[in-house]
Amino acid sequence: MSDMIITLMTFSPLVGVLLLFFIPKDSHALLRGVAIATTVVTFLLSLPIMFGFVTNAEFQFKEFYPWIAAGPFQMNYNVGIDGISLWLVILTTFTMPIAVLSTWTAVETKVKEYMIFLLLLEVGMLGAFVALDMFLFYIFWELMLIPMYFIIGIWGGKNRVYATLKFFIYTMAGSLLMLIAIIVLYFKAGAGDFNLLRFYGLNLPLATQIWMFLAFAFAFAIKVPMFPFHTWLPDAHTEAPTAGSVILAAILLKMGTYGYVRFAMPLFPEASEKFTPLIATLAVIGIIYASLVAMVQEDVKKLVAYSSVAHLGFVMLGVFALNQQGVAGGMLQMLNHGISTGALFLIVGFIYERRHTRLITDFGGLSKQMPVFATIFMIVTFSSIGLPGTNGFVGEFLVLIGSFESKLRWYTVVASSGVILSAVYMLWVFQRVMFGELNNPKNKELKDLNAREVAIMVPLLVMIFVMGLYPKPFIDRMAPSIDKMIQITKVKPQVALQAPALPVMPAGMPMGQPAVEGMPAGHPAMPVNK
Amino acid sequence: MTVIDLWIAMPLLILAGSALAILLLGAMVPGNHWTWAGVVATAMAAAWAIQAPPATIAPSLALAATPVARLFAILFSLTAGAVLIISHRYNEKRGITGEEYQATILFCAFGATTLSMSTTLLIMFLGLEAMTFGFYILVAMELKREVSAEAGLKYLLMGAVAAAFLAFGIGLHYAGTGSLSLAQALQAAAGNRIALAGWGFILIGIAFKLSLVPAHLWTPDIYQGAPAPVTALLSALSKGATVAMLLLILPSGGSDTIRHLLWWPALLSMVVGNLAALLQTKVRRMLGYSSIAQMGYVALALVSGTTGGYRAAAYYSVAYAIMSLAAFGAITLIERDGAGDSLEEWQGLGRRNPFPAGILALALFALAGIPPTAGFTGKFLIFTAAIKAGEIPLAIIGIITAAISVYYYLAVVVSLYMHEPGDREEVFPALPESAVLIATGAAILVIGAFPAPLLRLLAAALP
Repeated sequence: MSDMIITLMTFSPLVGVLLLFFIPKDSHALLRGVAIATTVVTFLLSLPIMFGFVTNAEFQFKEFYPWIAAGPFQMNYNVGIDGISLWLVILTTFTMPIAVLSTWTAVETKVKEYMIFLLLLEVGMLGAFVALDMFLFYIFWELMLIPMYFIIGIWGGKNRVYATLKFFIYTMAGSLLMLIAIIVLYFKAGAGDFNLLRFYGLNLPLATQIWMFLAFAFAFAIKVPMFPFHTWLPDAHTEAPTAGSVILAAILLKMGTYGYVRFAMPLFPEASEKFTPLIATLAVIGIIYASLVAMVQEDVKKLVAYSSVAHLGFVMLGVFALNQQGVAGGMLQMLNHGISTGALFLIVGFIYERRHTRLITDFGGLSKQMPVFATIFMIVTFSSIGLPGTNGFVGEFLVLIGSFESKLRWYTVVASSGVILSAVYMLWVFQRVMFGELNNPKNKELKDLNAREVAIMVPLLVMIFVMGLYPKPFIDRMAPSIDKMIQITKVKPQVALQAPALPVMPAGMPMGQPAVEGMPAGHPAMPVNK
Repeated sequence: MTVIDLWIAMPLLILAGSALAILLLGAMVPGNHWTWAGVVATAMAAAWAIQAPPATIAPSLALAATPVARLFAILFSLTAGAVLIISHRYNEKRGITGEEYQATILFCAFGATTLSMSTTLLIMFLGLEAMTFGFYILVAMELKREVSAEAGLKYLLMGAVAAAFLAFGIGLHYAGTGSLSLAQALQAAAGNRIALAGWGFILIGIAFKLSLVPAHLWTPDIYQGAPAPVTALLSALSKGATVAMLLLILPSGGSDTIRHLLWWPALLSMVVGNLAALLQTKVRRMLGYSSIAQMGYVALALVSGTTGGYRAAAYYSVAYAIMSLAAFGAITLIERDGAGDSLEEWQGLGRRNPFPAGILALALFALAGIPPTAGFTGKFLIFTAAIKAGEIPLAIIGIITAAISVYYYLAVVVSLYMHEPGDREEVFPALPESAVLIATGAAILVIGAFPAPLLRLLAAALP
């Protein structure tokens, strides 16, 4: 049982899908009940993984079954979890019940199909995070597209068809290039299977690495999304139903950054070093540009969507700083963004369900009418702008320390203005929506959040404070895996020149960071915790 | 005729015999129930082809029951059976009566199976033309629709020209080498100018059958004009049979010249097929262009050569047969319940015909090459074979065009599901039709996610 826990967890939503097939499509309550029960069971199944995880750099709960072995190919069902994927898996299973619950009343048509697509999406996302076989990863990666395409396209807003096609084609174009790179990688590696760990050890020539890094980086950059590939995101977010936006922001975007940490960087270390300035530049442009665009949005949902672009710019900056703090900060920021932006989209969903508008000018003075809502919105806003005590602060702070200490120092200086900008656009929108005169007569009838809505938000609020005040357990679990990832990504250029297997790098390395040297595995990442 | 001859020829005898029997008996007992007799015949032919024969070759008949041939014999028989089932109610509704429909479909299956089992160029030609002859009739079968007659005439004229090219090419090859044997055909032709010229002509004929650019122009018209179930058969059978034929010829060795002649048709088919499909507003016409593109991918696999390429081509032709059966089977049911041919008129049909629309969506995702479907696995095999064989430019163009193709496949899905329909009553298909669609849908997923058994079979068959 316990040696199959990943498979059980990943495919448990599929059981829910099968159940849903046999429920008549008019019994909405039962359909919703089964869907929520399935996501809760999946979350419960992920708990043994979280508690049973031993803090080290190895992949755990591994499962391995031969899958396709024919002709020149060998693909295996090869899954496992390490510190990098652990929290993303938990984030997924944690977010899904909330997402299902959030559209309890918003989705009234074709409930059955909607729930089926949500559960299929969960299978795809979990599979992509746990896959250790590149081919398997690709299958899951593409599998996520189809349900999301339908969720936006069928249950979305007015421009849903345009938005969903744009989303699908952007992502598909990127991933096909990645597929070529995976095939080339497979041939370069010689006989064997698609095991990711096997590819880590390759010493590819720089020219090959550059092409393949570009293919991977392009696919992931679209997903992140990095400037200038971000244009699909505001469209997709604005048109998607609330649960779609929440999942998109909280989990799907993490696929991109996870892809960099897991694949693009460690597989092609020299190339990623070469492209670090370019990616850091795009990340910084993304932070500043998206913040400025967010500031002038009329539509709350679009504003949140652009703020996503800015937050993920921070993640990319931290990851490419390639030191313990930077990567840990980036990873943590992924989780934070999942929680706080997910919560923001829920909040937008609450007022949209009540007023069927998202224009900022339609609101004002809501805090008098909806005090509970106002409090929750305020906490989430603080988390989003990274106020100390909330989760956003820890992540952003680590990213900035990490990248300041790396050779990305000047990028960091520019990027930190994004912190201020985020406070500007978030507080300003909060002020315009919640404070001032309640002068729109339509807003006078508004009801405060009901029990279901509060229940949705409470777990997120708890996480905001837990991760803000005591992030140590999160970082500790990640640290060894991050060390290993940094080591793979950094040491390899030296191996070609010097004696192999040097654990500690000599000083004066192009990217040598004092913070990494000699830091034992499992060392708490940062001294910030009190 | 020895016992072994009889054994090997048995699927052919079953198909041809039942076609004749239906034609004769149908004159006495007319009616649509001959469908079920035809289905039984195809099932028997397929079941016979499953068992391994005591010897592979029947020299006196110029037939061979190699593993590839048997695989295709099973595929063609089952396809014909499936098409018979889905056309049953369609024909009733569209006024296609008479037992000649069922007999002709069996005859097409007979031709295609003969082709895949042939060992000489002559038998191959006869099989190909027997199949095409059946299609000349079937395409024009829907008497009340003008487009059907027009399509029939077009197909007949173009087909006759292609047949002439093929016959002339085979003649030249025979004149040059003095042999009609398939096994060594390419080796014999190497360095022989007359025979090589003959192969040029043969390839033109093949390009017509596969609808490779520049011999593709008939495809969209026929796909649009023919009765929907016939399009399913045409797409699955004639394409599959032609690939089977190329797999008999190309892997036998000889010079690479002939294989490389497919380079430009492969490139042009992928580009022209996909780009032209983007502009279409009619569902079947779009799928016609899509089939041009799909065959471009198969040609890419064949150009790549090597065992990997041939296996990929074989896999993809099986996958394509199943995908087009699913797509056109679903289209048959949707059109039967009333649907115009333009994409706009298909809006919201996912509501009215939930089940066929779901299968159609699955088939379109498969044609677009999205995992975990057979279409993805097939494309994966083709692109890996191409990259391994060094055809990297062609592979990259193929992948880019595949990305483009996603748009028009999704456009149909968008029409089906993402527009608000007028209130339409749900229509449910009959049980046998549903069974066929479920089987094709399941096959798309199963051979996509678990391709190992089929690949092992192909690996054994195409060493």
